[in-house]
Amino acid sequence: MSAIRIVKRQEPLGWSSCLVLLAAILISLVLSGCILFIGGTPPLQGLAALFKGGFGSRFAFEDSLIKATPIFLCSLGVAVAFRLQVWNIGAEGQFALGAVGATWIALSFPGAPAYLLLPGMILMAVIAGGFWGFIPAVLRQKLKTNEIIVTLMMNYIAILILDYLVYGVWKDPASFGFPMTSEFSSSAIIGRIGGSNFHWGLVHCVILGLLCWLFMSYTRIGFEIKASGNNVRAARYAGIPYDRLVMLVLALSGALAGWAGFLEASSTINRLQPSIMAGYGYTAIVVAWLARLNPLYIGIAAFLLAGLRVGVEGLQLDLQVPAAFGGIIEGLILLTVLAGGLFTQYRIVTGAKK
Amino acid sequence: MSGTAVIRLESISKSFGDVRANHDITLEIHAGRVLALLGENGAGKSTLMSMLAGQSRPDSGTIYHNGSPVVFSSTEKAIEAGIGMVYQHFKLVEAMTVAENVFLGQSDTTWLKASRMAKVVSDLAALYGMRIAPDALIAHLSMGEKQQVEILKLLFRKSNILIFDEPTAVLTPHEAENLFATMRQMKAAGKAIVFISHKLEEVMSIADDIAILKRGQIVGVMPASQVTSTAELAERMVGREVLLQVDHQPLEPRQQVLRVEKLQDEKLHEVSLDLRQGEILGIVGVAGNGQKPLVEAVCGLRQPVKGNITLLGMAWKRFFSQRSGDLTLSYIPEDRQGLATCQGLDLLDNFLLTTRDTFCSGPWLPRTEAAEKARHLITEFDIRPPKLNALAWQLSGGNLQKMVLSREFYRKPRLIVAEQPTQGLDIAAAEDVWNLLLKAREQAGILLITGDLSEALALSDRIAVMFAGRIVETFSRNDTEMVDRIPQMMAGLA
Repeated sequence: MSAIRIVKRQEPLGWSSCLVLLAAILISLVLSGCILFIGGTPPLQGLAALFKGGFGSRFAFEDSLIKATPIFLCSLGVAVAFRLQVWNIGAEGQFALGAVGATWIALSFPGAPAYLLLPGMILMAVIAGGFWGFIPAVLRQKLKTNEIIVTLMMNYIAILILDYLVYGVWKDPASFGFPMTSEFSSSAIIGRIGGSNFHWGLVHCVILGLLCWLFMSYTRIGFEIKASGNNVRAARYAGIPYDRLVMLVLALSGALAGWAGFLEASSTINRLQPSIMAGYGYTAIVVAWLARLNPLYIGIAAFLLAGLRVGVEGLQLDLQVPAAFGGIIEGLILLTVLAGGLFTQYRIVTGAKK
Repeated sequence: MSGTAVIRLESISKSFGDVRANHDITLEIHAGRVLALLGENGAGKSTLMSMLAGQSRPDSGTIYHNGSPVVFSSTEKAIEAGIGMVYQHFKLVEAMTVAENVFLGQSDTTWLKASRMAKVVSDLAALYGMRIAPDALIAHLSMGEKQQVEILKLLFRKSNILIFDEPTAVLTPHEAENLFATMRQMKAAGKAIVFISHKLEEVMSIADDIAILKRGQIVGVMPASQVTSTAELAERMVGREVLLQVDHQPLEPRQQVLRVEKLQDEKLHEVSLDLRQGEILGIVGVAGNGQKPLVEAVCGLRQPVKGNITLLGMAWKRFFSQRSGDLTLSYIPEDRQGLATCQGLDLLDNFLLTTRDTFCSGPWLPRTEAAEKARHLITEFDIRPPKLNALAWQLSGGNLQKMVLSREFYRKPRLIVAEQPTQGLDIAAAEDVWNLLLKAREQAGILLITGDLSEALALSDRIAVMFAGRIVETFSRNDTEMVDRIPQMMAGLA
């Protein structure tokens, strides 16, 4: 009889951990193929259509990159919190509040010039999103609530606030009853880069990503976050103000998601409407895990998962596969990647027994 | 030595990468005898025992069990051969009772009756002179009692070869005595015992045979009766004369660095003490008599309920609210793995953990500058492996402690709280730590919390004995009459 044992690795796994990641994604794709098959779609053709729809044409590529920007920012924020082992599941709600904050400024000062209006919108989006992240942090540190549950529940509150506004006080009188605000004035809209289809939000992402990386790697607070995430007791021993750190990190996390909300409202749909909530905040969690919280990898993973979303739209048109299939693949990827974590920390040993 | 060996190791070698953990080891374990395995940290004791326990396999060499060669390819095989380990870190289910833990994974029937289990366990305990309630929850037991449960587990599965990995490290002196009594009974019942320890007196008192391991090789095996003194043993072990008397010159105490006035909470009773720069105040006592809450209060981890603490002339609240660049309290905790270091981070990060203030300029943390200093300290304190990117959990206990000390002394503290600073360290490392503490005393006042009386006597200028949350007495090291009475005071008899 041969036995399988699980043994903790003595040396950290190096480059071969990438193999584990690739294998995890491969397995999730195979499983997705199985689901396609069960649904009556030829799996290979379906997956091919998915990739073609996501990355196969210039249009698809651009669309994926545009969709990647809000995911990237949300994920960047989520990753900062995850570094501290604080589980912010609330990027979705923080994103919503960010969009609301930006819209408020855009609707209040339609005549203001862009160089005032855009920074104002960003500032309000960041404050609103950051505030939405700060509340669960305070509750966690003062009342010992569980941040996973609180951030998750606050998503629903945020989305309902957004709905309340666009169905009510902010509804465009000229919208024939559709729940949406009137279109932003041109100075509240982020323009495109040169003659391309990309808006300047892409540049925001690059700069914020770089700043996040600098912050985590080279600042004192970044170090304190890393140390506290590794051992809270040691952090307190070393005089690291852990409570304040949790609040800072969740506020920062929310601020980045809020910024994403601003970008989406300003550049992509030019107004606020319920369809702005496309689940980017949840995708961001998958992205952060896939990327192991590294800003550069977050960029890559955000682009891939955005491509998945775009590809699923193509799949829906070509092969009549329901759009929910995209969510299924996303979930499968997260599960297989998390399960793959076992192999990076442990070895499987097979040995003959008896 | 009488009879054939139950276990005979022949030319066992084992390497990890370039490191030769065990080299050509030949050793015999006999029934009814206690074999003490002595060696410095990293000498290869754990590696050797892990091969006996079936956790790893030798690269070359043979293990004989009752004269016939065996291969312990799994822990189950080792258990079948009657080998049982009592680890330093207990492997018990806290939420279950003593009897349930003993029966866990051992029963061959589906149904267990609580009363029968309790009977079996209490009979077994009585047989070896242990007093333990079979229905007590593990979480409610002391360290010594938990260890008894570990031993009972092995006895229940009829282990004949029991390996104890530094069993007294977590015990009070009294509990250690009980353990030795149990060991003697097991010996009389024909069990073979391997005893791994750093404490020479214990080895002398319990061992029949002593094997000394050094750099992965056996440098000597001798019957304990041939060893005349612990000093001789120490010398053989570290290969040079170790006099565990450090050079303690009295210094002129200077300004007061710590003052505790009538500190009181549920575990402390009117504790008062003061400490000056240039002196070491040794707090001795059996663990669990209020040392921990006292240390936590002094180090800012626990707010004093009643009474005052003044650190470096500042009130407790003020001192800990404005901890900034010139932080001059160093706490060297007992729990090196869980409190003093981040196990998953590398040496540089761990070095920066408490020294980050000295390097920060504005919001930035200049890592290259810190790395240079840290590299310097690694050489100076001889920390191994000497690599900044080694992770903390990869270091042995002694090296980790040296890392913590190098970091804490780097901050040039004026007040040091050292809690069991040499616990679990070998003699050479302990001596290094003692000398480092004495040197640090020139600049700082040191509060030394220790359960090791010889350590307290060797280092302290003044000694305070703690019992049941009180300071029983504080006196000078030269007060021989009081020093003689310390054991009674520790036991609450004076």
